[in-house]
Amino acid sequence: MEQQEVVKGASLWRDAWKRLLKNKLAVFGLVVMIIIVIAVIIGPAIIKWTTGYTADFIPPDGDLIKSFPPSLQHPMGTDDSGRDILARVLQGGRISLTVGIISTMVSLIVGVSYGATAGYLGGKIDNFMMRVVDIIYAIPYILLVIVLLSVFSGPNTPKWIQSIAGSIGGGSTAGLSQIILLFFALGLVSWLTMARVVRGQILSLKNQEFVMAARATGVSTPAIIFRHLVPNALGPVIVYATLTIPSVMLSEAFLSFLGIGVQAPFASWGSLAADGIKNISVFPWQLIFPGVTMALTLFSLNFLGDGLRDALDPQTRKF
Amino acid sequence: MLSYIIRRLLIIIPMALLVVTVTWGLIRMAPGNFYTGEKNLPPAIEENIKRKYGLDKPFYQQYLIMMGNIVRGDFGESLKYEGQSVNEIIRRHFPYSATIGLLAYLLALAIGLTAGIVAALKQNSAFDYGSMSLAMLGLSVPNFVLGPILVLVFSLWLFWLPPARWGGISGIILPVITLAAIYAAYIARLTRAGMLEVMRSDYIRTARAKGLSEWKVLLKHAVRGGLIPVVSFTGPALAALLAGTVVVEKVFAIPGLGNIFIQSVFNRDEPLTLGIVAFLSILIMVFNLVVDISYAFLDPRIRYE
Amino acid sequence: MARISLNQTYLGTALLAVSLFLSGCASSASNLYFGSTKAHSDKVLRYISGSEPESLDPQVPTGQPEARVLMSMYDGLVEYHPKTMDPIPAIAESWKISPDGTEFIFNLRKNARFSNGEPIRAQDFVYTLRRALSPELAAQNAYLAYEIKYAQAYNGGESFVRDASGQFLLKKDFEEAAKPAPVAEQQQQPPASNAPADTAQIEQPVAQTPAVFGADTEFHRFINSPERLSVPSDEKGRAKLTEKNLKLKTALEGKEFVPIRGEDLGVEAVDDYTFRMKLKIPAPYFLALLGHQFFRVVHQPTIEKFGKLWTKPENIVTSGAFKLLVHRPYDEIIVVKEPTYWDAANVKLDRIEFYPLEEATTMMNLYKAGSVDAIYNHTVPAAWNAEVSQFKDEYMNHPEVAIEYYTFNVKKGPTANVKVRQAFALAIDRVALSKFRRTTKPLTDFTPEGIFPKYEEARTKIYDELLKKNNITLEEWKGRVFNPAKACQLLRESGYQVADKADGRCAVSNFPVAEISVTYNTAESNKAAAEFMQAQWKQNLGITVPLKNMEWKTFLPVRKAVDYDGMARAGWVGDYMDPNTFLKLFYGSDNDSSTGYYDPQFDKMLNAANSETDAQKRFELLARAEFYMMQSQPVAPLQTQATNWIKKPYVKGLYPNPGTLHAWKFVYIEPDSNKWDKNVDNIMRETDAATEAQINGLMQTQTQYEQANKTAAE
Repeated sequence: MEQQEVVKGASLWRDAWKRLLKNKLAVFGLVVMIIIVIAVIIGPAIIKWTTGYTADFIPPDGDLIKSFPPSLQHPMGTDDSGRDILARVLQGGRISLTVGIISTMVSLIVGVSYGATAGYLGGKIDNFMMRVVDIIYAIPYILLVIVLLSVFSGPNTPKWIQSIAGSIGGGSTAGLSQIILLFFALGLVSWLTMARVVRGQILSLKNQEFVMAARATGVSTPAIIFRHLVPNALGPVIVYATLTIPSVMLSEAFLSFLGIGVQAPFASWGSLAADGIKNISVFPWQLIFPGVTMALTLFSLNFLGDGLRDALDPQTRKF
Repeated sequence: MLSYIIRRLLIIIPMALLVVTVTWGLIRMAPGNFYTGEKNLPPAIEENIKRKYGLDKPFYQQYLIMMGNIVRGDFGESLKYEGQSVNEIIRRHFPYSATIGLLAYLLALAIGLTAGIVAALKQNSAFDYGSMSLAMLGLSVPNFVLGPILVLVFSLWLFWLPPARWGGISGIILPVITLAAIYAAYIARLTRAGMLEVMRSDYIRTARAKGLSEWKVLLKHAVRGGLIPVVSFTGPALAALLAGTVVVEKVFAIPGLGNIFIQSVFNRDEPLTLGIVAFLSILIMVFNLVVDISYAFLDPRIRYE
Repeated sequence: MARISLNQTYLGTALLAVSLFLSGCASSASNLYFGSTKAHSDKVLRYISGSEPESLDPQVPTGQPEARVLMSMYDGLVEYHPKTMDPIPAIAESWKISPDGTEFIFNLRKNARFSNGEPIRAQDFVYTLRRALSPELAAQNAYLAYEIKYAQAYNGGESFVRDASGQFLLKKDFEEAAKPAPVAEQQQQPPASNAPADTAQIEQPVAQTPAVFGADTEFHRFINSPERLSVPSDEKGRAKLTEKNLKLKTALEGKEFVPIRGEDLGVEAVDDYTFRMKLKIPAPYFLALLGHQFFRVVHQPTIEKFGKLWTKPENIVTSGAFKLLVHRPYDEIIVVKEPTYWDAANVKLDRIEFYPLEEATTMMNLYKAGSVDAIYNHTVPAAWNAEVSQFKDEYMNHPEVAIEYYTFNVKKGPTANVKVRQAFALAIDRVALSKFRRTTKPLTDFTPEGIFPKYEEARTKIYDELLKKNNITLEEWKGRVFNPAKACQLLRESGYQVADKADGRCAVSNFPVAEISVTYNTAESNKAAAEFMQAQWKQNLGITVPLKNMEWKTFLPVRKAVDYDGMARAGWVGDYMDPNTFLKLFYGSDNDSSTGYYDPQFDKMLNAANSETDAQKRFELLARAEFYMMQSQPVAPLQTQATNWIKKPYVKGLYPNPGTLHAWKFVYIEPDSNKWDKNVDNIMRETDAATEAQINGLMQTQTQYEQANKTAAE
């Protein structure tokens, strides 16, 4: 009853798009996200150009090295080292969003391949693969991440990560390698549920006629999985991906709270909020601005994800 | 069904052992060890320590000895805290985490289910939009932000509740609320979504067509349908609850297992880490089994063979 | 649909309004005290002690949190003076030191008791030290006692060497013959320093024949015989030792190896109440060490009966002013007054509740809410400093015997060049750094400032002399606290392209930043400090030094092995109140400086200083050694730590001494608000009648003893 039409082509997506636009909350989320993304991309440059502040500019004058409340000069105030919080929030946004998106992509790639394969092949292989998922689920991920981050951080960072970091950061690798490590660490955690979701979809799709047709005409198994089944399972995948991003961002914030997330000289909303909490009763703006920005982003992403789910899959609502 | 349950139960122990092995491997890969301190240890002292804890034997021997002990339920003693056995430590600290976790989840269920059901019944009303927006807020604010804000307001400003430490009912209120917030949000949304889906479905229409009263329809069918996603959420929720309790225990200085666990990893306290990992893995697996079984009771379409 | 956006807008606005209101509330500090401050009439102290103690066995743990708790439960030969941390009589009523500075005799009081009523005698101290140094216990603090004769060898599990005739080989037969110190010996002199380092003729310590000090016993004769040779007990260890030393190798062949036992240790119970200790070298500072919990006495039968479980509340037997009542890990440790304690009459607290907490914000909140009475050191977050330091009756800001510095890798990379090291050290504005940290003071030499007044007097005198000798002006010397112009100059001399900028700064264009970095362990203040340094070097030298941070356990081995590029963050807390505890970091080829620095000349200077029995002359020799070492700039000293904690004004007798180690028997709760502490900046100078009386009462036994000895000698 709840099977959707399997249609190749654009009309499904156009329908979905129309439905999405009707959902005011989702549109609100989309608009806010677009604004935030634009802000974090060009914001830091604009601020630097107009005021000279960057995210790590510590004023040379010792008397300016303290936390000032919001003012015209510093719309979000300054942190304990006299750095402009607005600049830091924007830079933090870049990092947070990048971590969110790339980790989600990692989990997407791994999860979709794994889940689709398991779902299609079925039987004992499926059983085995899902058991593996269960095992990994049972490991409290925080342990995995902590050990991962400490085993491979600093001088132990694998050479290939360092070279990636080097090419992006132009020589300075320290904080960057940590971020790249985070991509993997966080991505490798979220792929599990992605795999389950995809597997569920594939399970319900694989006995459909188009699959039997493909098999009959001799299409190879990988091709069936990746060219026929996956595109039709994309609906929930996209929805889940949109909802994974905020979850990953929250995880990163949690790691920053523990001290092993994003490191100096970089900052993320999570690390800014974690820093800000310490001073909440004396300098509340240190927490409020990163916190509100982050909450707003997650808020919007969640609405957007909800909207996408309603749009792509109006009949089924599976979490 | 019974054979399914038995199969699942039998797998738990071997899986736990596998988890322990993987964790052990990861810990050994990490540099540093539990006795590293600020001052250099003269090599003689370091030798003494290694000999005392059996660290001078080859790797595989250490692994086998450890696994042999674990299978007998003996996780050994904490390396950092002299004289305390791992079992003892777990037994002592788990009740703190369990109490807070359980109370938080019950509170989340109470709030979430109520809000979700009412919102679903009064779909598109002010209550619906209001509560769902509030729920969304709950999902978007990290618990380590919410906790301190609550402390600021209720403890440092109003002096109604203590800011930290385990002690009596007043000491539990803020930690439980902090932990419950995000789950209440999730549950509210899930319940509402689940109920709406069920309410639109065929078998509800059939029930109504059969002439059953609205209440009966609701209670017997719709709510049960709304519970399914909530029940399935319990599994991942448990794992996430651990991360949540770490934060709450840290912010409110509660001597729970989550805090102990993080400390043990940072201290490279291997026996303690492994013990807690094994304990929590078994707990999670048993819980997942219970969840999956209750699935079968809730959704007649699901069958296990 | 408009409703939703409105709802959210309302929500958002409400949140903002509430937070602004709250921030307004928070910043108005109209109270006299920080938070709720009500004296309580019970004699209970609620104290936050730090992280959960590893163990309640005084010989085992090494951290400060444990020290605070252990000091309440165990007593030693001496106790720390609450203000100066000098040794004052505890279980030892009086003591005397032998003329050559290697032996101590302690006269124990006869009414000291364990918590189970049994008397504490000299044999218990002998047991305690033998146990503390035993290789089986593997105590990490064992090095503290290495000055005791044969302590290091015993702890290392070594053996004596006995030949066929039953004679033991002696250490002095295998040492390099002492050479007279060459004049103006050419070391790898740092070319940057304008003059050769101080090369005064250094005298080698002359071996003295010890007169018999105290009662003559067989053990005493043994322990005063020339030091026996000790070698590793295992083949492999010996092989390593004899690799380069043929003489030793031949000497060891065919000999019997006798493992060193606890009984060979230089501690002796001459009789029930006389305890004698023999050191292998003269160590004038050793008495100050004896207050450390490592040396405090434990109960032998309990330990032998219960093994590792002896510290459980139901088994434990303690020796101090308080005994253990409750131990709920991570929740609280409660100790109550021990009525049979020899000084119980002067113990004014009935009970202490130690709360093991580490999160600064939580602690401050508990203090503010009035749930705790005092917090341990370094807990007021830097950002709160401006607000909290206003509360003059509560906030403690006094110099500490602790420093913070960056180590240089002197072996590889650009920092192998001493000029580069000096340049980096000069390019940090330490005054600005203190302002930034708010709880520290600038540090330009190595030993902390404001802690050792007599040493600093001697040092000023010596530095005057050395400066004149090396043609350095006082101006330039004072400028070491921050001199970017000189730094740029030094870098230019090292061959880098330096473009000068305004006010002494410059931009160095071809500095190899990839080979340099600042490595530090993950902690709030370290991060902030490192970022500050990074900004300093960027602004003053135009060099952006990358920052690397690592988790503590990962960081330590890297720093210890000098495996880092450029610089690493380090801190050092003195083990005892003497500059030697800092200078010894650079002593020996396997030193703890984490820099790769080693200079036999420096070792010689330190040895000479420690053999000097006249205190002031000794300080002068130490000052010379410090100056010499700093010429090579193996580290960039940054800050002397200052204490940074708060206590309620009704808590008296709790002083911000340089080690922040409190002898709890001097602490009490003052119910009369007129007598509460006011303006604690002066607390060290003011006298509190009750505490003074208590201290003087205790000191009497020693002063009287010294008097008696003096008159006897005259």
